[in-house]
Amino acid sequence: MSAARFVQPPRPAGSSTKRDRTAVRAATSLAPTLATAAAKLRRRFGARLLEEEESFGELTFVIAPGDWMRVLAFCKSAPDLGFDQLDCLMGDHLPERADTPFAVLAHLTSHTHAHRLRVKTFLPEGGSLPTVTGLWPSAGFDERETWEMFGVVFQGHPDLRRLLTAEDFEGFPLRKDFPLEGIVGGRVRTELRGKI
Amino acid sequence: MSDVIDSGTAQARDVDATPSDAPPRPTLEQLKERKARTRQRLETGGDIMTISMGPQHPSTHGVFQMVLDLDGEVIVDLRPEIGNLHRGVEKLCEHRTYHQIIPLTDRLDYNSAFAMNHGFCEAAEKLMGVEVPARARYIRTIAHELSRLANHILWLGVHIMDLGTQTFFVICFRDREYLLDLFEMLTGARLTHSFARIGGVAKDLPDGFEQRCRKVIEFLPKRIAEYERIVKHNRIYYKRAKDVGIFTSEDCYAWRVTGPTLRAAGVARDLRKDEPYAAYDEIDFEVAVEYNADVYDRFLVRMTEMRESCKIIRQCLDGLPDGPYVARDAAHSLPMKRDVLRDSAAMIQDFYQVFRGPQAPKGEVYRAVEVPKGEMGVYIRSEGGAKPARVRFTTPSFYHGQAMPALAVGEMVSDLVAIFASVDVVLGDSDK
Amino acid sequence: MGVTDGPLRHVDDADVRAALEAETLGGPVRLPGGIALPVQIERVLGFGRSFSFWPLLFGLACCAIEMMALGGSRFDMARFGMEAMRASPRQADGMIVAGWCTVKMAPRVVRLYEQIPDPKWVLAMGSCAISGNIWDTYHVVQGIDSLIPVDVYVPGCPPRPEALWQGLEMIRDRVKQSRHAYDGLRRIPARDLVAAEGEGQS
Repeated sequence: MSAARFVQPPRPAGSSTKRDRTAVRAATSLAPTLATAAAKLRRRFGARLLEEEESFGELTFVIAPGDWMRVLAFCKSAPDLGFDQLDCLMGDHLPERADTPFAVLAHLTSHTHAHRLRVKTFLPEGGSLPTVTGLWPSAGFDERETWEMFGVVFQGHPDLRRLLTAEDFEGFPLRKDFPLEGIVGGRVRTELRGKI
Repeated sequence: MSDVIDSGTAQARDVDATPSDAPPRPTLEQLKERKARTRQRLETGGDIMTISMGPQHPSTHGVFQMVLDLDGEVIVDLRPEIGNLHRGVEKLCEHRTYHQIIPLTDRLDYNSAFAMNHGFCEAAEKLMGVEVPARARYIRTIAHELSRLANHILWLGVHIMDLGTQTFFVICFRDREYLLDLFEMLTGARLTHSFARIGGVAKDLPDGFEQRCRKVIEFLPKRIAEYERIVKHNRIYYKRAKDVGIFTSEDCYAWRVTGPTLRAAGVARDLRKDEPYAAYDEIDFEVAVEYNADVYDRFLVRMTEMRESCKIIRQCLDGLPDGPYVARDAAHSLPMKRDVLRDSAAMIQDFYQVFRGPQAPKGEVYRAVEVPKGEMGVYIRSEGGAKPARVRFTTPSFYHGQAMPALAVGEMVSDLVAIFASVDVVLGDSDK
Repeated sequence: MGVTDGPLRHVDDADVRAALEAETLGGPVRLPGGIALPVQIERVLGFGRSFSFWPLLFGLACCAIEMMALGGSRFDMARFGMEAMRASPRQADGMIVAGWCTVKMAPRVVRLYEQIPDPKWVLAMGSCAISGNIWDTYHVVQGIDSLIPVDVYVPGCPPRPEALWQGLEMIRDRVKQSRHAYDGLRRIPARDLVAAEGEGQS
């Protein structure tokens, strides 16, 4: 209970966590099976894997939207990769990337090898991706959600409707320019009355 | 006593037999064949009637809507509709500091609120590199397992009530109240406790908690045995649950169905073992596995899990280490409350954390934990600073509700409530 | 979003406020043709009703779990004749709005409310139903009272079962006195007449 443990004053952002991050990285290095899987992916796709990032013990590959289906199908079917479960497929909005502000991420899990992988692609406004519901049926809701929240179209999706929001909802709520309270201010409190 | 209650057939008794004379475990092919047999009902080719079940229906556990295509009594198609409880948690998270997000996670799966708090904090700690002290890890494990017990008891009561008995629901709620009392003692709230903190928990175990907790976990296994006496050998339940809603391990992978449903399909997948967090790697416990992949086995898995939870809590109480209950990390976690009143540095830290929030590094993390309903993953992308740039909760109910067509097509509509309850969907969890 | 053509249409704030302020003490029992019963008979009926108040079995979110706990063995709502939760609105006397109401759910909540036969009482349980709570977002109705008239508010997140119990007791008091908030949204032909009578008597 002494004050000795508070020798470090709160540090500003950016400089604060260098020590911590290296500690975490050392503690969670990649699993050997995942290293094998990554090597196999690199061998198969080479320069088509635009970026590779390893942080917090997690491996991320950035690919072009055109390779989305091919890479994910390989991830599922290749025996050394064996990603039999799509943990989540989600969208993201990065307005600072002017040309390709939308990201779609797939988190894959392998039950046979017990490793995880993240595959990411960047899309322009109005961009579209092929659906992966053929590989993992669980992508159905995920893709519907990504479409309604970010406006990323998934071509070939069997049922691309709004999932969570009301049928007549306008706008893509999880985009950064969408206000938290909704587009029509106070609509819910005042204007809904009498309409339903 | 068991003779009075036990009205099971000889066939039902077999299920409870010792492992030596237990029926052989079905292989994946046999399970698929059983499932294909139910699908044969679809070939009659009668007229299709479409009805909507929910959102207001007593056995949809909230406001889940299923649009059913029926051929007579057989479900030909099923379209799940969710979103009736959507409130934009993920959007709200982008406007809150990491500390302020914790109360939002309570209301995801309100039956096991602590497990949700815990999942988010694990992800945030991974991002910030906070090391949780040993005592906090043990307290978290205790609270996590208490929430698992509370969730499974609630599940059991509601599941059996869906199948037609009101009394059993009352029995389950009798015992759930003891768990909620423990939570109230520990956190101050019965349901939405917001107890986990980044780097630890909100406060230490209160005086007298240990004795009371021990008392509860001493008698709870007896109560679990009582549930089994009433339900497990009950002929009506056996007939309604056995070989209904078969969902093989392959189906589970494809539809991302996790938790007890996956373990009932013969896969010993449990993130508490596979990717240990909190104190689970220091605790000795078994993963509950069953092999028939039907509603009945999901019930059995949950019963075993409840016993294991009692075991885990007992071990945690036995080996509870001393020390701080929250990490001594001035940049990321709140200080211990008792220090704030005595120590100026701790007070500064408290002000800093409350007004500015924890300063997270840039980066993205995905962390999954085993909550009572399945695997809950939390994805956080941070651009530095106190607020995340994107948070995604990969909640189990979202996928369990989605898998309803694969679970229920070919089954009778009267079995639908049993199947739906057996995968344990909570709408606050699925709608986010 | 339009689901029902119900009588909620074209009611503006002033009407609602005026009606809620001049809440009809000892309001009428409506019979076909707009015939109203005397207030004394209404009171007797209300006294009877108050001992078998059947809420609609309708849970939205976390508060529904506490509502179930009230029906469970420790709190045991059955002692007071309220344990008979009806799953069909046609058999219910009122509803407990237990949880946040979203824009998607709002038409359904209103439809359920309208399907409950008169007279009916509404209890808003929990901060979400009262004011939207922490969900100040694009998809949450900021208070259920902007959609349906509410008789009793029970604050808490979620309220303890005892709090809900007290709220139900307050509802019961209102049932006894035949006071309800819903009159303001319904045009009852004989209402003004009887209301004037009631004022004269009291």
